[in-house]
Amino acid sequence: MRLAAQAFKAALDDAGLGKDAVDGLVINIGWPLGVDYDRFAESLGLRLSFAAQSWTHGRFVNTMLQHAVLAVAAGLARCVACVCGVSFIGERQILGGPGDLEGTREEGGTHEENPVYGLTAPAAGAALSAQRYFALYGASSEQLAAVPIAFRKHAMLNPQALMRKPLTLADHQASRYVVEPLHLYDCCLVSDGAAVVLVTSAERARDARKRPVLVGGLQGMRAGRDEFLFGLPGLGIGQQREFRYTPDDEQLLAFRMAGVTQRDIDGLYTYDAFSPLVWFLLERFGFCGLGEAAAWTQGGRIELGGELPMNTSGGLLSEAHVSGWNSIVELVRQLRGECGERQVKDARVMQFATAWGDATIFHN
Amino acid sequence: MSDYAKPLPRVTALNRPFWEATRRHELCLQRCADCVRFRYPPGPVCPECLSERSDWTRVSGRGTVTTWVVFHQKYFESFAADLPYHVVQVQLAEGPRLTANLVDVPNGELRIGMPVDVVFDDVTPEITLPRFRRAQ
Repeated sequence: MRLAAQAFKAALDDAGLGKDAVDGLVINIGWPLGVDYDRFAESLGLRLSFAAQSWTHGRFVNTMLQHAVLAVAAGLARCVACVCGVSFIGERQILGGPGDLEGTREEGGTHEENPVYGLTAPAAGAALSAQRYFALYGASSEQLAAVPIAFRKHAMLNPQALMRKPLTLADHQASRYVVEPLHLYDCCLVSDGAAVVLVTSAERARDARKRPVLVGGLQGMRAGRDEFLFGLPGLGIGQQREFRYTPDDEQLLAFRMAGVTQRDIDGLYTYDAFSPLVWFLLERFGFCGLGEAAAWTQGGRIELGGELPMNTSGGLLSEAHVSGWNSIVELVRQLRGECGERQVKDARVMQFATAWGDATIFHN
Repeated sequence: MSDYAKPLPRVTALNRPFWEATRRHELCLQRCADCVRFRYPPGPVCPECLSERSDWTRVSGRGTVTTWVVFHQKYFESFAADLPYHVVQVQLAEGPRLTANLVDVPNGELRIGMPVDVVFDDVTPEITLPRFRRAQ
């Protein structure tokens, strides 16, 4: 709550607004990891005409950001604060094991948890997918290391990042397994933090202290029998059918809405709780073909200066686990040109998207 | 009283026939009585035709390993002595996939595509867990 309140004040200051300008609130991570909408409104002295809160999972970052966008577009609120304040350190016992109530859901948790057989924790869901992906496409843990190594390089250019020591392939391979085939450095940080994003109309935003960033396109998260949160459709995890996934028009709605293509994206941001999710995201949105992400992410392609810089603040793997909202803050700073030595040159269009198919396209 | 300390399945009105069958050392899946498709996990209607009519049909118990992981981090005290232990997903010949462990297969010999057969482990007087062994 304290971190969330401080982030809220920082966001108001950044926009040059007082708290009374905020009449909407969306929260993605509520109690016990974070703070609930009613407590936040009460504690910060807000008077709200629109409030919404999702299930306490990082997967709902875009969902809740889009709630804010739609509320403003529909006239339900003038300025919506998206507030994320989380303490994974204080509540780490819910990240798998007996304290993870959701993981004991009948017939499996949302990451395929099945504690009867010892299968628990979100990491296990990413491990199930990674193992099958490795076998289907001949990919390896050594190739996967390119993801955390890239994001560590970005974190080293970010004074706010928690992990700023260089990470090598040897470090990655020598680190302990958490859930094999995932090594320690394939798994995100367990940290405390907060981030706040203010959403308002383009017209109002022009009066703000700083240059606004505009939303150009969006699409929602996917669900259904062919979807497993931590794997592409067709991979064959849980009850997914097996088939060769290629992104169709429906999967690329946000690009079409924004009038851009993959080639226009100057920076791609994602919920990198586990490094395989980055590969699945790239294939989901057609940045590379099915089974190609392992090779595609080599050679600095997703690093600053590469063809498609990703998670330039270090992401959940190396900056901090602020549930992905830290990446929204980062891409706003990038599109305003505020990122100093980690600035993406001539950044115009950026995307926040996830392996489960949602996306928001931003531009300056 | 059983001294079995690991988590046990939550038996519900929907999944009770599955667990009653395993207690008899039979693997049964829910099948739509109209379009005769198997489904798992159990549900109130067929996800294909939305029929509410279903029966529980004994299946072969044969399948193949579709993915596997090995836990190195301890999450449950009751699994601590088993570390590092594996968990697999098995695609049954009839289609649905189950999560389980293999018996008598060392972690180093786990392979995707390995053919397996169901075995039954009476972990408590009330609950029998299906697991799998290398196909005989």
